[in-house]
Amino acid sequence: MTVCVRFRAIPVFALALLGFVTTHAAADDENRMTGEGPGAFIVEDGKVDPNTYEGYLVYTRACMACHGPDGMGSSFAPNLIRVVERRGWENFAGTIAAGREVQPGQVMPSFADDPYVMGNIPNLYSYMRARGEGGLGRGRPRIIESMQEQDEEKDEAAEEASAED
Amino acid sequence: MLRVTGFAVAATGLLAASVAHANQNQLELQQNPEYWATQLGNYQGNRFSELDQINRDNVNELRSVWQFSTGVLRGHEGGPLYVGDGRLYIHTPFPNKVFALDLEDEGRVVWSYEPDQDSRVIPVMCCDTVNRGLAYADGRLFLGQADNTLIALDAESGDLLWDVSNGDHTVGETNTMSPLVVHDKVIVGISGGEYGIRGHMTAYDVESGEMVWRGYSTGPDDEVLIDPDTTLMLGEPIGEADLGVSTWPEGEWERGGGAPWGWVTYDPDLDLIYYGTGNPGTWNPDQRAIDGEPADNKWAITVFARDPNNGEVKWVYQKVPFDEWDYDGVNENQLIDIEFEGEERKGLAIIDRTGFGMLLDRETGELLVAEKFAPETNWADSYDMETGRPNVSDEYSTFRQGVNVNTTDICPTAMGAKNMQPSAYSPRTGLIYAGINRICMNYEPYETEYVAGQPYVGATLTMMPAPTQNGEMEGRMGSFIAWDPVAGETVWEVDERFAVWSGALATAGDLAFYGTLEGHVKAVDIENGEELWRFKTPSGIIGNVNTFMHEGKQYVGVLSGVGGWAGIGLAAGLEDPEEGLGAVGVFSALGDYTKLGGVLTVFALPD
Repeated sequence: MTVCVRFRAIPVFALALLGFVTTHAAADDENRMTGEGPGAFIVEDGKVDPNTYEGYLVYTRACMACHGPDGMGSSFAPNLIRVVERRGWENFAGTIAAGREVQPGQVMPSFADDPYVMGNIPNLYSYMRARGEGGLGRGRPRIIESMQEQDEEKDEAAEEASAED
Repeated sequence: MLRVTGFAVAATGLLAASVAHANQNQLELQQNPEYWATQLGNYQGNRFSELDQINRDNVNELRSVWQFSTGVLRGHEGGPLYVGDGRLYIHTPFPNKVFALDLEDEGRVVWSYEPDQDSRVIPVMCCDTVNRGLAYADGRLFLGQADNTLIALDAESGDLLWDVSNGDHTVGETNTMSPLVVHDKVIVGISGGEYGIRGHMTAYDVESGEMVWRGYSTGPDDEVLIDPDTTLMLGEPIGEADLGVSTWPEGEWERGGGAPWGWVTYDPDLDLIYYGTGNPGTWNPDQRAIDGEPADNKWAITVFARDPNNGEVKWVYQKVPFDEWDYDGVNENQLIDIEFEGEERKGLAIIDRTGFGMLLDRETGELLVAEKFAPETNWADSYDMETGRPNVSDEYSTFRQGVNVNTTDICPTAMGAKNMQPSAYSPRTGLIYAGINRICMNYEPYETEYVAGQPYVGATLTMMPAPTQNGEMEGRMGSFIAWDPVAGETVWEVDERFAVWSGALATAGDLAFYGTLEGHVKAVDIENGEELWRFKTPSGIIGNVNTFMHEGKQYVGVLSGVGGWAGIGLAAGLEDPEEGLGAVGVFSALGDYTKLGGVLTVFALPD
């Protein structure tokens, strides 16, 4: 079950790598911000879609130890919200996969061997975009109620599918 | 292992003459109040200086005489050594440069040394690429590099004398600690509790770098170097064999952490070294339980008293059985002689990660006092003085609350109510002076899988300032306190905006010194904490304030250079727990006050 959840966003990832998708965010109404393209997100009254929420979880598990709480950077590694705004999807995904030696003494590790992080790069990107363009605040977001149910249904379906395998 | 130990004991006997010589040297140096020959000032870890040229009456005239940039970013922990040769010896975080600086010539570089290290070690250091400094004895400097290479340098020339590998960074083992020289051995632990390593303390021969003994923190008794019939626990023999195996789920002890990465202290009369071990591997307690019930996970978060000659364990005391909060037990064990209930006792005092100030008998390991120095502490109400175990609160038990449940408002945070920043003890006042953290956390364990060289954490946490009371500074994240280790009471307390992450210094000049994360060095009246002097260094301070005298002049030296776990956690500021409820932003971001960069600043009074 867990594995299915972790990998559910891979098609988006593959699509985005092909470079066919452009990104933009739009304020649909006062309380709702959405972003299209790689790292699509919805922020509504401070709540988010399930993929963006998954991105928050992955961020706190895999990235926060160096990049600081809520994507805001630390004395050790930069603010990722700004990185996402400046460098875009391909650079973001590529750096997570390949790592980067910034300068002597400053190294970003490669996550190529970590299937959990690799499978969640689009969700991480969604979370970062939601924090930036989407105006999402700090801390653990909640999932938009109507989407919570959809998400649970999807999980159950995935569970059934994997049980059948 | 046993064969090696046996040989070492025999060799020690044969080389008795040189043993005495090496031991004598460090002991003699630290008994000279003009020197600062070991990171904690003396073997007992007291960080106290008899010097009083700089004192309560003239400290307001203290000024910087020179500064030296190390050229290295990242967190600068530890401090300068002075052994009477007119030089200061300092070190840096990765790449672990070493400098000999001419004290009389405004810090001119006499020699420098830079190891060649694999940069892949950087991302496997959990909490910045810090290093807590050099050790010295008999004309040799000892450095534990980030990549686990222990080296000896000739102090006169900076030439490499020997190097030896103490671990493997490709499986997540790293080094941040300062070694300690005892007799003819240099003793060093290891870091990597967040990577599922198996912690150990190891002794190497000062002359050759050959390993003499290694005592693991977990596993069978013959590898921990415990004898269940003679090793004491709470004053009685342990009795049961191999608790380092049986208190874990099948095989989990092999990745059980217990990394001893803090300070080692030593009692020359009892001939015992003391240190604490870190967290038990994964931060998800569920993966360390046996049949769904808490298991002790020995000997993580344990104070060890070992014979430095062969590593044999005299006694153990586990401060937190079955950790559920990452309360690494590595904080320094201050060796202090005290009067307890009308009797002279050889005490061992700890300002512990857990928020409790503890006092033990250092001959037997009996627990004498356990009281909260950080009153917000809520994970346990108290300690049971009979069993030595904490009375854990179910509400803040991340195990009882469960996997994938976010247990909220636990105090203190995983950073601890005090982290590695070493405290000071003045025998004149009988009090301990310590910089502490006032931060709480939410903690959510999750299932994690062990992969060598990858993080093995299994919990996410967020932090917020601890609640305040009685008009304390709102949103404050740190304090500097004077603690009575016998009464178990705070005598005075000064609040600071950020966690106080620097090592303290107490002097016979009636002063206590500490540094702040904004970059101030402060001198306060040792009687009441009143601030008497401050100086703003170029970056936040997580190093230790040291003092020494050269040619009749007392100096104070400190490394600044923000970073460490404090820099990672606080740079962007903490989450405001009241956010959305209209509270104003009292929660400060460290990044608004200071940036990276290592500098040594040396102070003295005007001529």
